[in-house]
Order: sequence, then structure tokens, then C-alpha cells
Amino acid sequence: MQEIISKILTYIFVIIIYLFIYVIIRMIFLDIHTMYRKKSGGFADAYLKLINLRQDLDFPVDESYEVSDNEVIGRGKKCDISIADRYLSTKHSRIFKSSGKFYLEDLESTNGTYLNGEELTDKAVELLDGDKITVGRINFLFVLPSKGE
Amino acid sequence: MEKRMLSIKPLFLLITANLLGMLIVIMNKDIQSENIVYLCALMCLINVIAYLVINLCALGDGYLFIIISMLSSIGIIMQTRINSDNGIRQMMLYLAGVFCYFITIIVYKVFHKYWNRLTLVYFGVSILSFILTALLGAVKNGSKNWIIIGGISIQPSEFIRILFVLSLAAVLTNGKFKKNKDQVEDKKMKRLRLGIVAIIAYINAFCLLLQREWGIAVLFFAIYLSYLFIYGDSKLFFSANIFAALSAGFIGVKFMSHIQVRVSTWLDPFADATGKGYQILQSMFAISAGGFAGSGIGHGAPYFIPIVSSDFIFSAICEEMGVLGGIAVLLLYFVLVYRGFKIALSSTNDFNKAVSIGLSVMLGVQTFIIVGGVVKLIPLTGITLPFISYGGSSMITTFIALGILQAISSMKGEVTDEIE
Repeated sequence: MQEIISKILTYIFVIIIYLFIYVIIRMIFLDIHTMYRKKSGGFADAYLKLINLRQDLDFPVDESYEVSDNEVIGRGKKCDISIADRYLSTKHSRIFKSSGKFYLEDLESTNGTYLNGEELTDKAVELLDGDKITVGRINFLFVLPSKGE
Repeated sequence: MEKRMLSIKPLFLLITANLLGMLIVIMNKDIQSENIVYLCALMCLINVIAYLVINLCALGDGYLFIIISMLSSIGIIMQTRINSDNGIRQMMLYLAGVFCYFITIIVYKVFHKYWNRLTLVYFGVSILSFILTALLGAVKNGSKNWIIIGGISIQPSEFIRILFVLSLAAVLTNGKFKKNKDQVEDKKMKRLRLGIVAIIAYINAFCLLLQREWGIAVLFFAIYLSYLFIYGDSKLFFSANIFAALSAGFIGVKFMSHIQVRVSTWLDPFADATGKGYQILQSMFAISAGGFAGSGIGHGAPYFIPIVSSDFIFSAICEEMGVLGGIAVLLLYFVLVYRGFKIALSSTNDFNKAVSIGLSVMLGVQTFIIVGGVVKLIPLTGITLPFISYGGSSMITTFIALGILQAISSMKGEVTDEIE
């Protein structure tokens, strides 16, 4: 009798361990899921995606940056997107939103801002999904998720 | 900002498992000492407090500790079932381990700037402890690897594991080799660095072989190889090292009798079933007796296996909780090692990255070596199963190692490499 009881209890014990593993793995999965959504595609609005391989750059840079109403890209610490690239000016360029459209503007940077390989003049240019933005040594892809996705 | 959601579900399951396990053990065994009940209650309390502290104070990864606690609980339950005195001691070791865990977190975080500069200290202390063991060591289970100080026997080779990982990581990420004019490593420097790493690794492994610590020597070599794999880019050097290891193993099999015994019992344990093959055969009999679902805690016969409480604890678990229970234990290790690599990947500091890779590899390989050994997948080498085997040095060391991992995970984003 005692043997049967302890056998059953042992089964329950093992089942609890499996449940524990299940709960842990599920929690980890949810963690990764939210992190993944934060990193790509999960942005409410547009974002910049790094095209360069990060290991080719000798300064830290994120895989992606969220773009909301007004983002200044530059070397300065106060910029919204602050990257320690030596080829960037303190305030290099700006992405801003105006009546639902995104525009890229050069802030009189030393090395210039390039959109799809063409240097920007003093006029702001509208950004479209898939545009390539080059500042300093960094190449970004501008991603604008279409609405209703 | 990252939202921290506190889930008490795993904690609840952990406590339930603890209490249920203890209930089964007490049901099947008259245990004279009442302490066991108090200790079990204390352990549950510590589980709760530690889990809450780690999660509410944002001390990094929220999964490491709870998985460790689960493994330790399984260990404590099995130890108590085999020998209640050992069980009580194991519980105390667990409490001491948790204490060390938190101390390690604090110390590692406070002095985080200095750890990567102490290569010589790590190496020196390792060598010193090898010498001390050789001079003062006591012989236990055929290996001269114990030092007895005031009645407490400690196994220095266990603690050296952490020093070894730290020293290799420190050399591999040392800035001196990296910063020349172009910020790019030149080839000579890289070779020099790998050379130093190789020298440290071989000296350590050689000392361990002299102590007849086969298992830990293999473990060190595995850590060293994985570092080479990650940080070295020369295939030739990597293959040369594997070749060196294989030839060392071959020479060992040919000329050293105790290695010969291990290999021959691995190949054919029935050749000397009552003598040299006894251990491994008993272990396999136990696993097969347990079958898929196990004989129930308290109703197996793990006493037949020699040194069941340390090296062969996995066979005892398989016998009493079945292969299912054994797989559950392996899964726990799997998740733990996975978390270790995750911490390594998300760490922003080179040294911390290297340390966490080393410690995760250490944990994974150690589990593989001993579990593979007792199920006769690879030749048996005496090494402990982390958190489950009975043994103070091993328990404390693994807790310290995981404490370092926890500290590294909590420093994510705070400490980055300095940029000019």
C-alpha cells in the first residue's frame, strides 16, 4: 500500500517538475516574444534598421531605432539617436513628421547626409518605406510599416 | 521601459515540489532528527525570499535562481532519501550556497572594474593551490585532491574551475593586445594571446592530471577548446589542440593503468563484472530497474551503487523517478545553460561576455561528462553533478559560478566597454 502511494506521489513529483519546466520555458518564450516585437516590426510607427554589420563598426550602435515625431541623429549625447561615430557631426540630421509624412533633413553636417546614395541639399526630402539613409559610416534602412497590418 | 512582471507560478511549483518530495521521503524512512522539518521549512522560506529579492530588486535574470533551487531541491530530496544525515548537511550547504550566491553578486558588481586585470592572481592562486594539495593533500577515492583544514575537507580543484574561466577570459579580452594604431588586432598579437591562453590551459590541465582529476581535466580542456572556437580564428591551431588532446588521451590509455581501467570498463563492463566493472554495471542495472516511470522514491535500491551520493546520483534519480525524472533533470540543466548563453549574448562588456560563456560551457560540459559517464555513453570520470551531488566544495563552487552569471546579467547595459 505504502509503496503504491509513494509511487503515485513520485509521479506527481515528476509531473510538478515538468510543469515547472513548462512554466519557465513559457515565461522565457514570452520574454523573447516581447523583446523581438520591440526590436523589429513591433514599433508603433516607423523605425530605422541598421544595414551595416555591427561587428564592422568600432562603436556601439543598436540594430534599430524608433522614429516618432522628431528625431535628431548625431554624435552629441543629447541627440535622440546618439551614435559615437567619428564621422558624424554633433547634430547631423533630423527626421521629422509633418502631416502624416516623414521627412529627412540635413543639419549642415560636415560629411553630409545621403538618401539612396544622393547627398541631401538644404531642402527636406520625404522618406518612403525602404529608403536607404547614410550618415557617417552608418547605413540605415527606413522602414514605414503600412497601416492596417 | 521594460516592464517587470512578477510571476509566482514557478515559485509555487518549486515550493510544492519541495514539500511533496520531503513528504515522500519522510513517509518512507524513519528519520530520527526533527531538524529536517525545520530545515525544509527554512529552505522554502529562503526560496521565496531569494526569488522575490532577485525579481523585485532587478538583480538581472529572473530564471537562474529558481532553476538552481529546483535542481538543489531534487538533490536534497535524493540525498535525504539515501542518507538522512547527508540530506541535512546538503540542506545546510544549500543555505550556505545561497548566501555565497548573493555575496558573489554584490562583490562582483562592486568590483566589476577590476576582475579583468587579475590574470596573474587567478593563475597564481590556481598554481598555489595545486602545490598545496600536492603537499598537504589527503587521498580519497584514489585521487589525492583533498585538503583537510580543521576537520573540514575541501577540494581545491573545484574552486580552481572558476579561477580558470576567469583567467582565460581575462587574457582573451585583455585590452593590451587589442589597442594598437588601427584599433584592429594584428595577427601577431592575436597569436601571442592564444599562446598565453594555451599555456595557462595546458599547465592547469597537466596539474590536474598529476592529481588524477580526470574529469575536471577534461572539463578544463573543453572550456579551453570552446574559447578557442569562439575567439581564435585559426583552424590549424584548433585542430592542433584537438590532435594534442587525442594523442594525450591515446598515450593515457596505452600507458596509464587507471585510465586503461576506465576505458576498458566502458568498452566491456562485463569482463570484470564483480570488480572493476561493478560501479558502472550497478549504475546501469539501477537505471533499467527504474524503467520509464521509476520505482517510486524510497522503493528503489540505490545502495548497491558505489558512491551513489556524489558521482552516481543521476542513476539513483533515474531508478526512483524513472527515465522521465532523469530527463526532467537534464531539461533543467538545458534551460540553465541556455540562460547562461543568453546572458553572454546580451552582455555588453567583453570580459563579462567571455566569463559567462566559460561558466555556461563549464556547467553544460560538467553535466554531460558525469551523466554520459553513468549511462555508459562515454568513459566514466569522477566529477560531480552540479547542485545535485553531495559535496560542499562542488555545491559552493557552482553557486559562486552562477552568482557571477547573475551579477553579469544584472549589469546589462550599465557597464559597457569604454569608448574614446
